[in-house]
Amino acid sequence: MTEAVRSVAYLVAALLFIGSLRGLSTQETARRGNLMGIVGMALAIVATLVVVLMRLSESGAVAGRGALLGVVIALGAVIGAALAARVAMTAMPELVAILHSFVGAAAVLVGVATYLDAGGEASHGVVHLLEIYIGVLVGAVTFSGSVVAFAKLRGMVGSKPLLLPGRHLLNGGIVLACVTLAIVFIRAPGHEGLSPLLVQTGLALALGVLLVAAIGGGDMPVVVSLLNSYSGWAASAAGFMLENDLLIVTGALVGSSGAILSAIMCRAMNRSIWNVVFGGFGAEAPKGGKAAASQADLPVHEASAEQVAQLLLAARSVIVVPGYGMAVAQAQHPVQELSSALRARGTNVRFAIHPVAGRLPGHMNVLLAEANVSYEIVEEMDEINGDFPTTDVVLVIGANDIVNPSALDDAESPIYGMPVLEVWKASRVVMLKRGMAAGYAGVENPLCWRPNTLMLFGDAKKSVQALLDGVREG
Amino acid sequence: MPDASPTPAPAKPAFVVGVPREIHAEERRVAATPATVKALRKLDIEVDVEAGAGEAASYTDAQYAEAGARIVPSAEQAWAADLVLKVRPPEARPDGTHEADLLEPGARLVGFIWPAQNQELVQRLAARKATVLAMDCMPRITRAQRMDALSAMANIAGYRAIIEATNHFGRFMPGQITAAGRVAPAQVLVVGAGVAGLAAVAAARSLGAVVKAFDTRPAVREQVESLGAQFLEFRFDESGEGEGGYAKQVSDAYLAAEQALLTQHAKTSDIIVTTALIPGKPAPQLITSGAVVAMGSGSVIVDLAAEQGGNCALTEPGKVVDKFGVTIVGLTDLPSRMARQSSDLYATTVLNLVTDVAKPGAGWKLDLEDEIHRGVLVLLEGELKWPPPSRPQPRAGAPVAPATPAAEKAAPPAPPKGMGFAAKALLGGIAALLLLAGLFGPPSFVQHLTVFLLACVVGWHVVWDVTPALHTPLMSVTNAISGIIVLGGMVVLQGAFSGPVAVALGAAAVLLAAVNVAGGFLVTQRMLRMFRR
Repeated sequence: MTEAVRSVAYLVAALLFIGSLRGLSTQETARRGNLMGIVGMALAIVATLVVVLMRLSESGAVAGRGALLGVVIALGAVIGAALAARVAMTAMPELVAILHSFVGAAAVLVGVATYLDAGGEASHGVVHLLEIYIGVLVGAVTFSGSVVAFAKLRGMVGSKPLLLPGRHLLNGGIVLACVTLAIVFIRAPGHEGLSPLLVQTGLALALGVLLVAAIGGGDMPVVVSLLNSYSGWAASAAGFMLENDLLIVTGALVGSSGAILSAIMCRAMNRSIWNVVFGGFGAEAPKGGKAAASQADLPVHEASAEQVAQLLLAARSVIVVPGYGMAVAQAQHPVQELSSALRARGTNVRFAIHPVAGRLPGHMNVLLAEANVSYEIVEEMDEINGDFPTTDVVLVIGANDIVNPSALDDAESPIYGMPVLEVWKASRVVMLKRGMAAGYAGVENPLCWRPNTLMLFGDAKKSVQALLDGVREG
Repeated sequence: MPDASPTPAPAKPAFVVGVPREIHAEERRVAATPATVKALRKLDIEVDVEAGAGEAASYTDAQYAEAGARIVPSAEQAWAADLVLKVRPPEARPDGTHEADLLEPGARLVGFIWPAQNQELVQRLAARKATVLAMDCMPRITRAQRMDALSAMANIAGYRAIIEATNHFGRFMPGQITAAGRVAPAQVLVVGAGVAGLAAVAAARSLGAVVKAFDTRPAVREQVESLGAQFLEFRFDESGEGEGGYAKQVSDAYLAAEQALLTQHAKTSDIIVTTALIPGKPAPQLITSGAVVAMGSGSVIVDLAAEQGGNCALTEPGKVVDKFGVTIVGLTDLPSRMARQSSDLYATTVLNLVTDVAKPGAGWKLDLEDEIHRGVLVLLEGELKWPPPSRPQPRAGAPVAPATPAAEKAAPPAPPKGMGFAAKALLGGIAALLLLAGLFGPPSFVQHLTVFLLACVVGWHVVWDVTPALHTPLMSVTNAISGIIVLGGMVVLQGAFSGPVAVALGAAAVLLAAVNVAGGFLVTQRMLRMFRR
């Protein structure tokens, strides 16, 4: 009876999750989608809790473990809520990455615990043992990969890809060792398989570190989305080992949708997913081919904030291209004020968002939304690329690779072929930049040397504030 | 400027563009304005403008001269150029000669030609070994929009049609309630929602009328509704959408059904504007004389298709007539009635075409592989090139999702060569796995595998059309949902025989997953709250 009710609750929860993902596709339905996810999750947890407590009361252990369950769920919820409430929108990529690692860790713990839980009863079947093994493997890779991604996004380790010599061989060796250990693990009687399982966990952790460490900073949006997919597969594997259909369904939903999201992003960068995962992109050609060499002696046109403010006052159409630099400097609020000030003067101000701007897909949209920029003036690359030739001024705020003309005209450039915002077609381009450093992909940007490009050096927030003051005085 | 094309061009020191005065009755437009003359002069092209060419469009000879043109006194001199820019097709002159014969042998002509309707003219031009580009044959592709003279003119015609209609219509357009009585708003019906039709809809709406629009192409419903008009539903199992975005000719039964529908709506309409054209064919007769009778006395019909025979059975091209108390406006010079505006727009489209063919510094160079050049080309040095070979039209629509490997397992094998191979390998792997599971696995496993694969497919389909702006919220919500692993931890805790280590591990798993669930959903909510219109 209870089981049947629980199954129905699971079915409803699964449907709600599907509705939730679907709802998140458009602005109009997004909030409802999130609500559906919350309801589905609450339903799933309550249904499981009831069944678990009933089982526990049958075995007489309800008091101790029931209390333990209540405490850890409440504690987890409080910690999660606190994190969610306090995180800055600019730190969103880090938060998402670290949350992925939690799912991975939980999958590992569940796997090991399930193995220990056999309680000396009839041994697990081969299939069940394999499920546990794979679940732990995926969980461990997700965990360590997400931790490395978190550290890179946080700036705790360098964003440059770490390319060990023969890393493909090394990775292959680890995979091979894991396969061998699987045989040992399955053959082991009783609980003796624990040590191969733990060794495998260690190897998988190392594999996760190696895989993500080899991926350059510019590809972080794809990596975060891939890890998102992995965390789904880990949950699904846990479902297999526990024979829990809701876990299987939900994990598979998250896993495949995460994979699609990664594929969508890779397509936006004109790269294959293999190239991102195995390419070690960004370190092999740190200089931008022929373009960089010929630019060393070209002058860079530096401008003052007053001059740029005058340009903005005279312009009739302005496009703002935000990048990670805007996020780092927390400049989204002054940028919003600048755009409203100009719009109030009748200037047509719009925002152009490259699909991989920032460190998380849609990162820029979130920041601009936080600063109350109406999403109707925020346009995607394909919508706005044709408008640059008729634009008076383009403000590039802390973006670099996504406005790099070498992507179109320099076949030797490592980012050649990636669609970019063609800002150089506008009458004037103003690049707000801290210095002449190359972008996250480590590629020089010839845009800086173009005759119609002005450089405004300094911290993005201070520069934009100065522009805002200039515009208000003008 | 040397002519780089293989054309045996007349040996002249400079490339000369001629702009004769239009001689067609009531034609006030001109094919070049001082602004476009200036642009041509910048390209080192000399421009000869016939005296008085721009007069009817309010451009004086002095303005042309100031822009750098040479004012020539006679039509003969304006025609004696390497390239002649015209609005109307060349026609017989009052003195009995023909404009086409003024063209230098081997010279070029750009303008409206209507080659389907003007076979004789095309032959005459072919005899001159002329190269002729027809503005009316411009392909409807994105790149050609800046050269699309028909759309530019249609826009003006649609606007002007409403102005003419209100002029002949003896009542208010908007509804009013006054002390002297109540005024009902005018009911306007626009037939054909192309550029002209939509312009008419917009103009009528802005004057306050109640507007309905009819078109055989269901795809334009959205455009009509976006302008605040009602779209007349017409169901018939044959779509009117033709190649290249133009309406195509439809069958007799279809036409009869259209006429019946329009007659029914004519009864309640005060003003009807018809704009239905089919390229290269006479206009379809959509408004029967019965429909005209059905309209109330004092109503107005403006037939923008009058020059192609008219959409209304009683239209008399070029005239305003009264039939059964209904004023039928068959004027064919509506764009010309706003000569300054239409000259500006037309001259710009012509300039854009000319500079596309004669790129700065490269000379006159027709590229027969170029869709635009090939599309407008009627005659190449006297040889008939019209109609151009039809091209397969890529239909706009949702692109088919390419196969991409979905299941990136933690340790994929050595990188395969490409996606196609990867997808095949993946499919093969799944098939092998299913077979193995079916043969050797326990039944419950097969069942779980089924559920798993179905869920993968659902997940695959659910997110394809996500807006990029929502990538981050989507990711954080899927992250929260993957916190479902909390159930795993709970189930572990429930196990009857769980030792203390297993319980501790389970509890830790529940804790981590709970952080994830709460954090993920709340942060998503926080983000979504910020998105606003």
